[in-house]
Amino acid sequence: MTPLTVSGFFSRTLRWPVVLGLALACVAALANFGLLFLSGWLLAGAACAGAAGLAAQQAFNMMLPATGVRFFATLRIVTRYLERLVTHDASLRLTGRLRVWVYTKLAPQAPAGLTDKRGGDLLSRFVSDTDRVGQSYTETFIPFARAILCGLVFAVISGLFLKGAGVVLALGLLVCMLPVPMSVGLLSAPRLRALTAQRGDFQAELADTLAGLGEYLTLGASEARIETLDSRQKTLQATERYLAALESGARSLMTFIGLLTTLYVVMLAVQAFHQGALSAPEIPMLALGCLAAFDVTQPLPAACQAFTRARIAAERLNAACNARPCVPAPTAPAPALYNPLDLIVRDISFRYPNTQNWVLDHASFTIRQGERVALVGASGIGKSSLISLLSRFYPYQNGNITLGGQDLRQFSTEDLAKTISVAAQDFHLFNGTLRDTLRLAAPNADDAQIAETLRTVQLEEFVQHAPQGLDTLIGDEGLALSGGQAKRLVLAQALLRNTPWLILDEPTEGLDQKTEYALMHGLIAARPDATILCITHRRTLIPFMDRTLTLAGGQICPAEEVP
Amino acid sequence: MHSTQPQNDWQTAGMARRARGWLAGSVTLGGMAAVLFVLHLTLLAGVIDDLTFKGKPFAAEQHTILLLLACLGGSLCLQWLADMAGTEAGLRIAARVRRDALRHLFRAGPVGSTTLPSGRILTSLTEGVDALEPYFAQYIPRAAMMVVLPLLILAMVFHLDGWSFVILACTGPLIPVFMALVGYSAQSIMDRQWMQLVVLGSSFLDSLRGLSTLRLLGQTEASITRMAAATDAHRASTLSVMKVAFLTSAVLEFFSSLSIALVAVVFGARLLSGTVDFRSAFLVLLLAPEYFMPLRAFSASYHARQNATAAAARLADLFALPDMTQPEGPSVQVPHAHTLPLAHLVCSDLTAGYPGKVPALQDLSCTLSRGTLTVITGESGVGKTTFLRLILGFLQPSSGHITAFDTTNTSVEVWQSRTAWVPQRPVMTMGSIAETLRLAKSNATDAELHAAAQQADALEFIEALPQGFATSVGERGACLSGGQIKRLALARALLRNPDILCLDEPTSDLDPASALRVARAIRRCATNRIVLVATHHADMVALADQCLHISDGHGELFSASQRACA
Repeated sequence: MTPLTVSGFFSRTLRWPVVLGLALACVAALANFGLLFLSGWLLAGAACAGAAGLAAQQAFNMMLPATGVRFFATLRIVTRYLERLVTHDASLRLTGRLRVWVYTKLAPQAPAGLTDKRGGDLLSRFVSDTDRVGQSYTETFIPFARAILCGLVFAVISGLFLKGAGVVLALGLLVCMLPVPMSVGLLSAPRLRALTAQRGDFQAELADTLAGLGEYLTLGASEARIETLDSRQKTLQATERYLAALESGARSLMTFIGLLTTLYVVMLAVQAFHQGALSAPEIPMLALGCLAAFDVTQPLPAACQAFTRARIAAERLNAACNARPCVPAPTAPAPALYNPLDLIVRDISFRYPNTQNWVLDHASFTIRQGERVALVGASGIGKSSLISLLSRFYPYQNGNITLGGQDLRQFSTEDLAKTISVAAQDFHLFNGTLRDTLRLAAPNADDAQIAETLRTVQLEEFVQHAPQGLDTLIGDEGLALSGGQAKRLVLAQALLRNTPWLILDEPTEGLDQKTEYALMHGLIAARPDATILCITHRRTLIPFMDRTLTLAGGQICPAEEVP
Repeated sequence: MHSTQPQNDWQTAGMARRARGWLAGSVTLGGMAAVLFVLHLTLLAGVIDDLTFKGKPFAAEQHTILLLLACLGGSLCLQWLADMAGTEAGLRIAARVRRDALRHLFRAGPVGSTTLPSGRILTSLTEGVDALEPYFAQYIPRAAMMVVLPLLILAMVFHLDGWSFVILACTGPLIPVFMALVGYSAQSIMDRQWMQLVVLGSSFLDSLRGLSTLRLLGQTEASITRMAAATDAHRASTLSVMKVAFLTSAVLEFFSSLSIALVAVVFGARLLSGTVDFRSAFLVLLLAPEYFMPLRAFSASYHARQNATAAAARLADLFALPDMTQPEGPSVQVPHAHTLPLAHLVCSDLTAGYPGKVPALQDLSCTLSRGTLTVITGESGVGKTTFLRLILGFLQPSSGHITAFDTTNTSVEVWQSRTAWVPQRPVMTMGSIAETLRLAKSNATDAELHAAAQQADALEFIEALPQGFATSVGERGACLSGGQIKRLALARALLRNPDILCLDEPTSDLDPASALRVARAIRRCATNRIVLVATHHADMVALADQCLHISDGHGELFSASQRACA
């Protein structure tokens, strides 16, 4: 059972908040009904008694209904407040559970499965989709369940006084619960789906436009581009207009049906009154009750649209979560590595899924344990792709790679992380303090080790001058740091993990020569025995390395052999 | 809309001015709907009174009932129109803002726009602008209705019953006061927990963004537990804010329930003593909930205001991006045939860079002439692209200047309109090859397309395609190879017949054969132009007439022969 189905609402951990929220919603609606129902009777009853003379006036007990009115009023206040609180809590719990589930499913797919070819922000979409599915509890489930349960109670209560009134009310409510909102739902669904697709297209086009801003300008095509996007936007808005018209129209229709039902009930009540089957005060009571009853149907058209939105979101999440990772998880536990931890790459070819260009074309090379090797090559030639292969983010199509005598295919990214630390180019820094960031890489590192590592990466001075030292917040995506500082922090993470292998992608980019020298020097002094593969285009790093490999034309060869 | 406008024009009030008519229409229609609605309640009270107390048969009320239905029908139709007018206002404002924002981004240029992260620009333009819609569609009309309907009802009640008038008139104004008080304390709680709420609220997205990093750190399992804990902590802290924030609506609920109860009880006692008639009592009871209804609708759309204000602030950042100093106007026009071609481009002592960084180029001087192919070389990040940006006018030098001379050696004022650019990843819009080419010149004839394609060595492959120029390029040029895209982009640039042609890494990501082909096509373009190519590629360099080597911010110009010696 996935959290994406309605039954997911009632899984054991969530059952009570979900049920309690519904109960409170129903009590609040019933209190509202009771308040108006009773008020109507109270007024009419008092008026009747008042008109009937002194004896009747004295016989009329105001206390009881007045207390009832006050009771319902208080109940309505309290339950409406609690209802909102409890249903929001339940909806947040649902969203939370869903997010954990989605995250667990997506983890093995990163990063290959999580890149959007169309420039849209796929990850933000996971956030809004999980939100939407979680909110379907308050937006769809509660309104419908409340309408059905309370509608039944309203009809029964009215029926107790006048059978016909109960039946008519039940029928009126039924029309407002099923055909009207359902047709809104049916008419909206295809448009909502189209809207989702159009939104995606629009966002992708917008992203393309932003990326190609300069070219459009030099082509003199900027105005034309703005016009194109504007016409796209108009299509989108036409759909939005239609959806709004439908929802608002349905609500109006339901109010009208409510009045028709009320008048019919009044007609029946008057007939019964003339036949002596009903007392006079019960006519306004039934009328007011009837009007109040239709309050529960008002949110239903919007609930139907919300349902379709949630369903689209759930389908998208389901598809993304059930996609097969492009590197399947190894079935057997990872085998032990043999010493020496040599990396032998033999005849491998690699291209990204769904692309034609070979990034690596029958490439071979060997790195022995303890060696320090630089990998150079023009930008965009595939140096970082090689790291992705060695991290098992992507599968290679041909040849084989062994590490410590074992085939790399037997390992998952997480297995390899025990042996290899990667300071990647496209790293991500989590919002938190400097200490959190470093502890994330090495949960058991103590302050002494942290200080040592910070000295190695030349960040010691920065941390000492930072307002809160290690407790300084680094901001969202490390934005409070400069590019060079962020880079060195990532390097510190890799070093702290103390693995025999280190892969560094442009470790000194953005640093001045003095710092670069000190950093490389410190790095090698701190980890003299580590095997290092360092990707760089800076010649200044080459003296720190034992030898240099060059990547060109899909081949990797020693630098001196490059033609 | 011009960026010189006061910035507060991008605050919500300024935006509202753009759809004043629709907003006014929405409020007027809403007001008329409210009048009819109150009328229908009056008739309803009359009908119930007649039937219950005046002993009239149902048939005698037929006319009133028809009128009653007509009133409600009319009211609902007007309300629907009012809703639609509000929606229209929201949609129009959103469309205008989005279009103006895009236009502003084009004016800010590719360099200026990068001062803001591109993801943020994109979300401002999509979700940000979307958040404006409900504000104008709902919040503003509801805010107006909050004044109209209660006043109308109050006036009605005044005529019906003094006591009820006092109850409603007293509770009505108290509600906003109490709501503001509670809202204020909710806000202060929120401010206190702001950091925590933001950090926890973004933890899911943060974890997703960092998923590859977490995997590389071997922390996948631990991060799942951490994410679950953060989600739960976020729920708890959100709830502690909600506990107070929901009190605002509880206040509303309290007053509205209280006054209904009060009206019922107060009327009950007087009805019993016969001092008021049932009709007005019943009408007041019908009107009382409607008195509070607009307030409730208004407070429900309150978060629309918060979202819109936040979005407006982000959009204001976007509109605050300064314009490129180079006016965009002339570059729209394809240069006239009768202007003389440019012969030289003289760069003297150019220093340029980006805010907060060491200048990327320092005191760079060189002369570029018609008929020469110049390659710009140097390590990545050394300033090759910066130099191209200066030539293209996307970036202004902090000192020094670039002067253009035509064939009669007269300096030319407006010359940047005669440049063309082929970036590393050329724009490929959905559509046919012809459409992609016509981006540069919408009225280009087929013959012109052929000529440009021929020059760029693209004609052969285009004609080999099943539908020739009508073949679709696919999404982002997916149906074409990397080399074909480059040659197509070159053809497109040539369609404008530029005097200066700039290319950024035209041969990167290409296999050696297509790289050579692209390089040769570029070589041929240089016969009657100034051609500048930023490149790493040896074949490209070999075909050049001169080479501008940039290192440490300084440029050095070699001729082809000098380079051969070096």
